[in-house]
Amino acid sequence: MADRRSLAAELAASWFGSDLPPHARTAFLELAVEREVGAGTEMVREGQPTTGFGLVLSGRVALRLHVPGRGQVTILTVEPGDIYGWSAIVPPYRSTSTGVAVEPVRALVVDAVALRAALRADDALAASLYPRVLEAVARRLDGTRLQLLDLFAGQVEASW
Amino acid sequence: MISATEAPAHGPGFLARKDLGALFALVRDDGRRLIGPTVRDGAVMLDELDGPDALPEGIRESQTPGRYRLEAGRPGRLFDHTVGPSSWKRWTFPPTVPVGTTRRDGAVVAFEPATPDAAPLAFLGVRACELAALAVQDRVLLGGPVADPDYAARRRSALVIAIQCTTAASTCFCTSMGTGPEVSDGADVVLTELDDGFVVTAGSRRGRELLERLPVRLATAEERDAAAGGVAAARAAVAANAGVAAPGLPSRLMAALDSPRWADVAERCLTCANCTLVCPTCFCTSVTQRSDLAGAETLSERTWDSCFTGSFAAVAGGNFRSRPQDRYRQWLTHKFATWVDQFGTFGCIGCGRCVTWCPAGIDVREELAAIAPPPRAVVTGMHLPAVTPAPDEAWLRPARVVATHRETANVTTLTLAWEGQVPGAGQFVMAGPPGFSAAPISVSRARRGAIEMTVRAAGPATAALTALGHGATVGVRGPLGRGWPLERMLDRNVIVVAGGIGLAPLRSLIEAIAAERERFRDVTVYLGARTPRDRLFVGELGAWSAAGIAVTETVDRAGADWLGRVGVVTHLFDHAERLPEGAVAAVCGPERMMEATVEVLRARGIPDERIFVTLERHMECGVGLCGHCQLGRFFVCRDGPVFSIAELGDAFGREGL
Repeated sequence: MADRRSLAAELAASWFGSDLPPHARTAFLELAVEREVGAGTEMVREGQPTTGFGLVLSGRVALRLHVPGRGQVTILTVEPGDIYGWSAIVPPYRSTSTGVAVEPVRALVVDAVALRAALRADDALAASLYPRVLEAVARRLDGTRLQLLDLFAGQVEASW
Repeated sequence: MISATEAPAHGPGFLARKDLGALFALVRDDGRRLIGPTVRDGAVMLDELDGPDALPEGIRESQTPGRYRLEAGRPGRLFDHTVGPSSWKRWTFPPTVPVGTTRRDGAVVAFEPATPDAAPLAFLGVRACELAALAVQDRVLLGGPVADPDYAARRRSALVIAIQCTTAASTCFCTSMGTGPEVSDGADVVLTELDDGFVVTAGSRRGRELLERLPVRLATAEERDAAAGGVAAARAAVAANAGVAAPGLPSRLMAALDSPRWADVAERCLTCANCTLVCPTCFCTSVTQRSDLAGAETLSERTWDSCFTGSFAAVAGGNFRSRPQDRYRQWLTHKFATWVDQFGTFGCIGCGRCVTWCPAGIDVREELAAIAPPPRAVVTGMHLPAVTPAPDEAWLRPARVVATHRETANVTTLTLAWEGQVPGAGQFVMAGPPGFSAAPISVSRARRGAIEMTVRAAGPATAALTALGHGATVGVRGPLGRGWPLERMLDRNVIVVAGGIGLAPLRSLIEAIAAERERFRDVTVYLGARTPRDRLFVGELGAWSAAGIAVTETVDRAGADWLGRVGVVTHLFDHAERLPEGAVAAVCGPERMMEATVEVLRARGIPDERIFVTLERHMECGVGLCGHCQLGRFFVCRDGPVFSIAELGDAFGREGL
C-alpha cells in the first residue's frame, strides 16, 4: 500500500487528477481509500446502487452489459487515469454497467454517500470535480457514438 | 485527279462550293473516313459523310435552354448551324472501346491489351470551341504522367478541317471562355463560308499540302473582308448572349461550396447525365467486363461514365456523392474550378450543349451567376496545350498467387509473385481476377519477388479475390499512386493510427520503418479493430514490438474472454500526457474514423502538415484518366492516395466532394 504522499503524487499525475485544483485534490484524497483487487473482482454491478466512485491507478476495469443470448459484452475498458462509478454522483445513483477487473487493479475509491455529502457541503470541490467527471463521461459518449457507427464493419446500408 | 489552279502562294485562298467535292475525294484518296455534320433525327449530327450533298444545306438551329429545333437558314449555306448534340470526342474518345481481353485456358490466364483502332479520319466542320475542346481533352488524356493509348492513336491520325462560325445560337458563350468564334490554332485547314464558297487557310504543313492539291485560288480582298465580317457578326451575336464571368471564377466557385443554390439546382436537376454526354470535354469512364458463358474469355471495355450517375463515387462502404446536389456541385466545380488546378484550363469551352440538351433547361451560365457572382479579379485566359503523348501504358499483367493467408472471416492476404517495380509503402495496385473489374488494393507488404495484398471481401471483385487459391492468376497493374512520405519521417517520432482494414497500407509502412529502425525515433502504433476476431496481422505484432515499435490495440466491442482494451482507437492516445515531440502521424481507416483521429492529433499539437491520411475512393483506371476518384483539385489515384491534411484542406471530410 502506498503512503498518502505518494497517493497524492499519483492523483496529481493521473488524467483525472491532473486538472483538479489543489483544494479538490486534497479533499478527494481525504475521502479516498486505496483499494487493490485481483483479476475477476466485480467493482460495480449493472442496475445496483453504486457504492463507490473510483479512479483507476493501475490495471484495467472492463465495463460490461449483459445481453440475453450473447452473455457479457464489454463495451469499454477503463484504463489508468480514468474513473469508474460516476453514477455514484448522478441520480439515480445506480450503475449503468458492470465493472470487472480484468487484471489486478489498484484504485482510489471514494464512498458514494460520503462523496455526495462532500459535494453538497463544499461548493469549491463540486465546482471543480463535476466538470472533470462530465469531461470523462462526455469522452465516453463521443467514443460510444463512433462505436455506434460501426465504422469497421464495411458495407452498412443506411435504412432511413 | 484534281489539278491545282492558281494555288495561293501567300494569304488566304478561296475554294468554290462546287469544288468541295474535290476535298471529299482527296480525303478519301488519302485513305481517310470523312466525318462531318449532317441532318439526322431532327438534329445536326456528326457522322461519316459520302459527299457534300450530305451536309446540312440551308439549315440553322434554334437553341435555347432545354430546346433544340432545326430551321431554314441562308439558302445554299452548308455550315449555318453551330453545334448539335454530338461532338468530335465520339471519334477521338469513342463511347465504348475495348481495353483488353482475358483468356483463360485451364490454369493458364493471359491478359491481352487491345490494339488501338487507328483508322485515319478527317474531321470537316470543326468549330473554334470544339478545337478548344480537343485541346482540353489532349491535356487530360495525353498531358499527364500516363497517356491514353487509344486516344493518342485516334487523335494523331485525324485531319482537322475547321470552320469559323458566322452564326451563333443563344446558348453559345465561346467569347466569354476565350475559345471562339475565331479559329486560332489546332486545325490543319480553316474554312470560312461565303455564299459561293470558302475562304481557306492552312494551319499546318499537312493542311498546306492538302490545299496545294485542291483547286484553290488566292482570295480577293472582298472575299477576305466578307469572311472576316461573317466571323465578326458571330462574335457580336455571342457577345450579346448571356456569358460566364470567367476571370477569377475558380476561386469564387470554390468559396461557394456551401451555397444554398446547390440544393436549389438539385431540385431541378434530374441527374440524367445528358450534360456530360453532350459535353465535348467530359472524359470520365468506367470499365466493364463481358464474359462468355464458359468463362474462358472476358472482354474489358471502357465506356463513357458520368459523375451524375448514382454509383459513380460509390465504394464498398458507401457513396461519397449520394445526393444530386453533390453530383451537380462536383460537375460544375470541376468544369469551372478544379479543372484549372489540374490541367491549367477550364473544362468548359462555351459550346452551350449542356444548356440546350438539359431536359430541365438548367443553364450553367445562370447557375454560375447565382452561385459565384461576377468578379473583380485577374484574367485567366485559356492556354491550350501542345499534344505531347506520353508512352503507352501497359494493361493488366498476370500475377500468380503463391500463398494465401486468412486473416479474419472476410479478410485474406494474397501473396503474388512479382517481377515488376517494388511498390513503395502506401502505394496500391489495380487488381482483379479474370472476369472481374479491377479494384484498387493496397499493397500490405512488398519485397523483391513478391507483394502481398490484404483484401476485405466487400464487393464482387474483392470477394472473388479473397476466394482465390494458390496458383490462381490475378490481373494486376501498378504500383500506382503516391505512398507514405517515409522521407518526412526520418529522424522523427512517428505515430501510426490504423482502423480496421486500414492497417493494410500501414503494414507496409511499419515494416519499412522496422527494416531501418535506427533511422527513426520513437515509433508508436495504435490499432483499432471491430472485435477481437477482426484484428489483422495478429501474429506479427510481436515482431513489431521486438523491432522497437510500441503497439497498442483496442477493439470496439468484445466478449468477456477478451482482456485487452475496448473503446474507440482515439482513446488510445487522447489521454496520453503528451504525444512525442515533432511527431509525424500516418492514419488510415474509414473516413469518419480518420476525421476523429485528426481532431485528436491536432488537439495534441501535431500540425496538419505532419498528419498524413490515405483516402479510399472509387477507382477504375488508377492513373488519373477515368475521373471517378476526383476530390476537389486532386485525383486520389494519381495525386494520392496519401495526402497530408494540409494538402487536403477543406476537402477532407467535406460531405459530397
